[in-house]
Amino acid sequence: MKILIVDDDRINSTILNRLLSREGHQVFSAEDGRTGVEMFASERPDLVLMDIRMPHMNGYEAARAIKQISSDRFVPVIFLTAVTDEEGLVQCIESGGDDFLTKPFNRIILQAKIEAMERIRRLHTELHKQKEQLEQHQERVQQELDISQHLFSNIVRAGNLLDAPCLRHLSVPMSQFNGDLLVASYNPAGGLHVMLGDFTGHGLSAAVGAMPLSELFYGMTAQGYSIGDLAEEMNAKLLSIMPTRMFCAACLLEVDARQQSLTVWNGGLPDVLLVDRRGQLQQRITSNHLPLGVRPFTPDDRKVSIFELRRESRLFLYSDGLTEATRSDEEMFGSERLERYFDGSVPPERLFDTILAALEHFRGDAQQTDDISILEIDCARLGEEPIGERLHRDRKHIPPTNWSLSFFFSPQLLQTVDPLPAIVNSVMNLQAPAGHRERIYTTLAELFSNALDHGLLGLDTRMKRTPEGFLRYYSQREERLAALDHGFIRLELTHIPQFDDKQQKIGGEMHIRIEDGGPGFDHRRVHSVLEGNTSHGGRGIALVRSLCSRLAYNEAGNCADVVYRWTL
Amino acid sequence: MSGTISIARSDQETTVSIKGRFNFEMHSQFRAAYQEETTDKSRSRRFIIDLAGTEYIDSSALGMLLLLREEAGTNEADIEIANARPEIRKILETANFQRLFKIT
Repeated sequence: MKILIVDDDRINSTILNRLLSREGHQVFSAEDGRTGVEMFASERPDLVLMDIRMPHMNGYEAARAIKQISSDRFVPVIFLTAVTDEEGLVQCIESGGDDFLTKPFNRIILQAKIEAMERIRRLHTELHKQKEQLEQHQERVQQELDISQHLFSNIVRAGNLLDAPCLRHLSVPMSQFNGDLLVASYNPAGGLHVMLGDFTGHGLSAAVGAMPLSELFYGMTAQGYSIGDLAEEMNAKLLSIMPTRMFCAACLLEVDARQQSLTVWNGGLPDVLLVDRRGQLQQRITSNHLPLGVRPFTPDDRKVSIFELRRESRLFLYSDGLTEATRSDEEMFGSERLERYFDGSVPPERLFDTILAALEHFRGDAQQTDDISILEIDCARLGEEPIGERLHRDRKHIPPTNWSLSFFFSPQLLQTVDPLPAIVNSVMNLQAPAGHRERIYTTLAELFSNALDHGLLGLDTRMKRTPEGFLRYYSQREERLAALDHGFIRLELTHIPQFDDKQQKIGGEMHIRIEDGGPGFDHRRVHSVLEGNTSHGGRGIALVRSLCSRLAYNEAGNCADVVYRWTL
Repeated sequence: MSGTISIARSDQETTVSIKGRFNFEMHSQFRAAYQEETTDKSRSRRFIIDLAGTEYIDSSALGMLLLLREEAGTNEADIEIANARPEIRKILETANFQRLFKIT
């Protein structure tokens, strides 16, 4: 240990020096305060023994100067005092001294004091080191959080339509990351999809789950999947990534302005409120599913509820952070207090602002305990285009053009995947006739399953007339498909734009040819299939006939020509 | 501020009573309350979660119930959530937990 002795009394200084050197310490001596401070700076000792009365700078001043230079580390200063002068002792402590040693020096006491100081010094150094590490760590974490938040907002908000004129929303996270996910987008048919999700807990862990869900939301909505499909896919995703005790209460809405319909899937969120033109609660849409990520979907879990919307209707969707917002006396805002505003006393266009003001007034300066989200959909403004470049409407307008596609499917492919979504997606990406996705899907699906089930697998649709036959049909289908080793399905799609008298493009015609080359093909059976389907009405080929302008099978019955017309 | 947990055990049943606020702070306490029973897979056991004294429940508490269900699941124990106040019952029903638990 390096020890500095500051004492103008040479005898004292020499005695101390010998004592300490014998103990193995490295000792430096200074003869006055000023030299002491200088040596302190140059030698960086671990401990200082300081006399009080000295020329050029007394011990008190020197101690103060030393403490100031060494503010980043702990260097004990022990005063060497001659007397039991209480006044002097107080001054020692005030000027930064850590202990005293009274003259004449006792070797044992000196050793003990130095050891005690050394212990404190080591503790101090350790503490200081830990504090530095903690600060560095904190800084690193904050940097990482900032980067994550940047990524998070870009992923969740990419293509989000929340600023569309028909939507108003408020989403207040409790911490840097929002555990409430609020996203909106248009599907290819022009319907508006909205989702509000509320993850267990809040902060980073909750927000991490929001990322895959928002990706699924945008991706599947753009491809025209229904909200039932979205819910099922999201549920499967969350089950695979989240621990058991985490889930996501969610509500998915599809608002279709043309059909004036509202489709809702609500799993665990508070009631969606449908409000009429007088601002009165018209319909409460209660959660009828488990939240997402609790257990695998059964067919029932996909079920959606459909409601009629009017132009004057408004919808309110919120997370329980709103109704569970507490004020300082722990009283909650509550759904009753919220729904009081929906009694017709507040004009509908004022509801959103009124609720926000009421919430703010209620909470006062109480601490927020959960993420809060609320969204309003104003049906009168559904048709208005969103503003701002970030908020592009994900609905392509591709003028009708000439193109053709040809697909060939081998038995091996048919055994492994259902190629239909890929076919429909190709068509939608090339032409995207708005509002026709479902019809095109239906047409192709019926033609395709006819070619596969009857053409390639030789199944007889009449089997399906009885419940037992229905089951047998599908088990037979499974067996035969697994055993299929030759044959094919060929699908050709040719699109031709259509013009009006003034040579303006008004839409297009899609010529579909589907051909199968299965074993043991019997065209009479296909004809009976056709008849069978027609007699059941609204199914299969009859459905295709109703959607398309032309449908004809060839003589052999293994090739169908269909024309699907659409207009802009 | 969180709640307190008390446990009563009989041969077949374990009753876990939660008083006060049932939230994320209760996680380790709640888990400790049933863990002894769920590790012994050879015996089937009924769990009763008594919410008579519960004032508040949050989504993390629902998550804990799911965890109990999973950890007790292999021995086909059934879990009953009893005596919940109307507000808490409403939260359980909004999450449709009546499909996973017996709510009485």
